[in-house]
Amino acid sequence: MENHKPLLFGAAAAVRFLLFTVFPSLPSVLTGRVEVSTPVSSFKRLQEGLFLYTHNVSPYDGGVFHQAPLLLPLFSLLPDPSRYPLLTNLLYIALDLLSAQALMKVAETGVSVSSLRYTSPRQSSRYSSAAIAAGFLFNPFTIAICIGRSTSVITNFFILQAFASAATARPLTFILALSAAAYLSLYPALLFPPLAILLYDQHIRRSGTTPSQGAYTASLAGGVSSAIAALLGLSRLITGSWQFVASTYGTPLLLPDLTPNVGLWWYFFIEIFDSFREFFLGVFWLHMGSYVAALTIRLRKQPLFAAVAMTGIIAIFQPYPSIADSALFLGVVPLYRHVFPLMRYPFLATATLMYATLLGPAFYHLWIYAGSGNANFFYAITLVWSLALVIVVADLIYAVVRDEWEVERPDMKGKEARQI
Amino acid sequence: MASLSTAILSLRRDRRILKLPPYLSVVLIVVGVVWLFMLPLNEYSRQTYVSENALLPGQVHTYFGGSEHNVFRAYRQEVAALAEAPVDERVQRLEEIFRSSGLKVATQSFEYKAAGTTVQGKNVYALLQGPRADATEAIVLIGAWRNMDNVLNQSGVALVLTLARYFKRWSLWSKDIIFVITEDSVAGPQAWVDAYHDSHDPQFVSSLPIKSGALQGAVALDYPAGIWGHRFDKLHVVYDGINGQLPNLDLFNTAVSIASGQMGIGCTLQRMWDHNDSYKERLQTMLRGMLNQGLGHATGPHSGFIPYHVDAITLQTVGDGWHDEMSLGRTVEGLFRSLNNLLEHLHQSFFLYLLLHANRFVSIGTYLPSAMLIAGSFTVMSIALWIKSGRPPTNSDAPSSEKAPKPSQPTKSSKLKNQTFTAVKSGSATVLIPDALLTITERHMFFPLASLTAISFLGLVPFYLFNRTPLPLLAPAYQIFTIATLPAPHILAFLTPRLLHRRPTSQELTLLHCFSLLLLGMYLSALATLNFSLSTLIGVLSTPFSFIPSARAPGATLSRREKARALVWSVLIALLSPTNVIWAATVALEVDGGLGEVLRRASFGWWVNGLWTSVVVWLIWWPAWFVASFIVGSGIW
Repeated sequence: MENHKPLLFGAAAAVRFLLFTVFPSLPSVLTGRVEVSTPVSSFKRLQEGLFLYTHNVSPYDGGVFHQAPLLLPLFSLLPDPSRYPLLTNLLYIALDLLSAQALMKVAETGVSVSSLRYTSPRQSSRYSSAAIAAGFLFNPFTIAICIGRSTSVITNFFILQAFASAATARPLTFILALSAAAYLSLYPALLFPPLAILLYDQHIRRSGTTPSQGAYTASLAGGVSSAIAALLGLSRLITGSWQFVASTYGTPLLLPDLTPNVGLWWYFFIEIFDSFREFFLGVFWLHMGSYVAALTIRLRKQPLFAAVAMTGIIAIFQPYPSIADSALFLGVVPLYRHVFPLMRYPFLATATLMYATLLGPAFYHLWIYAGSGNANFFYAITLVWSLALVIVVADLIYAVVRDEWEVERPDMKGKEARQI
Repeated sequence: MASLSTAILSLRRDRRILKLPPYLSVVLIVVGVVWLFMLPLNEYSRQTYVSENALLPGQVHTYFGGSEHNVFRAYRQEVAALAEAPVDERVQRLEEIFRSSGLKVATQSFEYKAAGTTVQGKNVYALLQGPRADATEAIVLIGAWRNMDNVLNQSGVALVLTLARYFKRWSLWSKDIIFVITEDSVAGPQAWVDAYHDSHDPQFVSSLPIKSGALQGAVALDYPAGIWGHRFDKLHVVYDGINGQLPNLDLFNTAVSIASGQMGIGCTLQRMWDHNDSYKERLQTMLRGMLNQGLGHATGPHSGFIPYHVDAITLQTVGDGWHDEMSLGRTVEGLFRSLNNLLEHLHQSFFLYLLLHANRFVSIGTYLPSAMLIAGSFTVMSIALWIKSGRPPTNSDAPSSEKAPKPSQPTKSSKLKNQTFTAVKSGSATVLIPDALLTITERHMFFPLASLTAISFLGLVPFYLFNRTPLPLLAPAYQIFTIATLPAPHILAFLTPRLLHRRPTSQELTLLHCFSLLLLGMYLSALATLNFSLSTLIGVLSTPFSFIPSARAPGATLSRREKARALVWSVLIALLSPTNVIWAATVALEVDGGLGEVLRRASFGWWVNGLWTSVVVWLIWWPAWFVASFIVGSGIW
């Protein structure tokens, strides 16, 4: 398998590089698509912020830029992407490849089939790490967000690094990666509980020693919070005020920008009466956050799966989702190849996802350009899209739970289970 | 509830259920097609009506007449004098005329290169700043110098000039009016409207020096009567836009109600010169409309405006009658007075409709199910094939067992002994089901997915070829391509086992078929929302792809009957190849200029008008045909 890796990465890089060079207008087209760019991840808005930043104006003044301040010095080091896009493009290609590399590391540990407390009876059937990386790298959604240069690519990279360092029991890189991801986009903080448990389990497995749970958790939580605090402090130094906090983290929390996206929030909050707005913001956030505890407790034996399921939940229920979140989720799903035979609706879910992928842009076109449709068309299709993702998540959880159950009840193997 | 779900679950295992989908699929197609033929009936279509209150069609008195007639005749002489003049001289003279009416004038030149030919010219346009307008909205009156048949649009242009002079004297315009004289009827208006919205390529199309506000509507005049005038019988209202987009039905209705209600000019559409509102004629009108919509080509100077969400129509004079240029002028005046009243962009009425008659239409809710049913038939078949691909191959499935039972084959009773059973409880009854029906075999998806992707990308070859080949080579290239690709799937089917060093299993072929149909059904249902007619046309022509004989198991030999059946199917599928269908349609519809002209228009449409029909043909329809033909071929070789 090792000798496939350079070929695979080379091919993935070549595809992206070709798309960047053969269709020079493609990045700006994709950046303009609501499916690819959200107010908190759009490359266009980043450029706007960058322009203000390099002209010594606070980038958060215009109310357009809602991304983390540390991206600004990073991108201001690169030449102006509208004129010399090469280096920026190479950076994005490299990020995708490094994400795939992290995914391969997770796959190689085999923790998805056999964790500390649970070994699947189906552990022999799994994809090779190269196949999983290929699934991630050649997923059209991954390619689209890379070409669209959404900053979600960076968040996804840090999330996958956190996955990899948790699976390989490296606490320091875990703390750095997770806090960077949470610093950039806030929602990755929800992945802390399952990933911390995974790290703990893997630590026991690798070193053989059993550290105290409380102390270990406390040190991890302390590490992550101090790393985030350091990043915030650095941001304060760079921008010179705390203005960025309200703009970067207030936006996903309070949803001031109702640009359409593939998620469920925007339409709801356009329609809602203002007096109920705060209440429902709370409800929506609580709803999304509540999955963390539930999944982590129920799937205690397989913490990696709890994190995988959480990425799916985030892709559906976060305030500004884009196909980048779905690409991350669909990228980690193949780790659970061994439970695929237990899934009940793979065809339905795939077909629904593909239908929504085609109909989404069509309905958006009818609404915005042709003028013969309206917002309900696009919203209807985002509901279908979310439904498809819900089917994938729910079916995958069912399959994993069923897999666990068959270990407890070997006599029920292959039999029809009935919900009572 | 539990017993019901168990009953449904046990039903899921029923073999008869698997036999059902082909029939269901046929039913869907038949219902879809019959549905289409029901539409012209009174019960399914509706009388047209004007939804937008502000339009008030025919409620104003029109004053175009009297001495304006002399002005018109003078301008007609001017236009006649310019008929043979070089472009620059003509443009200069038209500019002078507009300027003498007190309008702001500008010109625009364009040069398109497509299909190895160059189309170039100059547009002249004049801006009337509405006395009550704030330059945020404008309406457009277009007179193409040459109409769609490349005939000099003499009276049409003269009428535009006269109306420009006449409109300038009114104080009631609350929108700007732009008068455009374009070089021809396709490239000129397209260049103008592209540049108006700043989406032109400055290399080929020059920018507009003068602009006004958002365009609210556009009307084009096509009145090619010569210097002695010509009294016409009817107005032919042309409304098809690029890519099958249509103008708001209110604009069409307003034009019809002013022309026929106020001026007494009969209106017709889709080249139905005689239309007495019978079922047959309604159906014919609808089918012609669908063909035009499906092709998505430019049908007049107005077509290029519609993709920019500017509602536009062309008024064309036809026949010999007693209406003269003044009635046409007053119709246009009435229409512009109505558009002038608009408070917001036309949005009240339908954008998606099929017209059966000038006063009768079918709305999207009534006709869309027909395309969706046809697209759905592919999805039904693909689901069935998916389930089938998960079934382990059984002896009875092997095609050879039908006729020649080998002596070694176990008899039915011994077969039963070899099988294991599972008890499924359904309410009080218990059913024994052979395990073979319960197990789902692993699906091997690599070959199907890889080959489907490869074949889909193969569609780029004809797409590139026919958009890049220069005109003289287009028709021969097409013929060579047709002849070369007809046997290509069979050659591929013949070569595949030799390249793979094994036969593709029947499961792999079933999956390939399944994915191809799934993709086709998906594309068609998405397309149905954008261009209903194109989706229906391709859907109907692709129906046989669903029913091709199932792939045989590797190693199984074909009986003579099966071989004959496979051959019949391969001939049928070959006949229905997109290349053949286009060829046959060109011959059947007696297109002027034949195949070369059709291909030129497609290529020109792609480069100039942004026409997507060729993308749909080569990247959706053609790959689906290729896969179907490949699967039939795999059954033979």
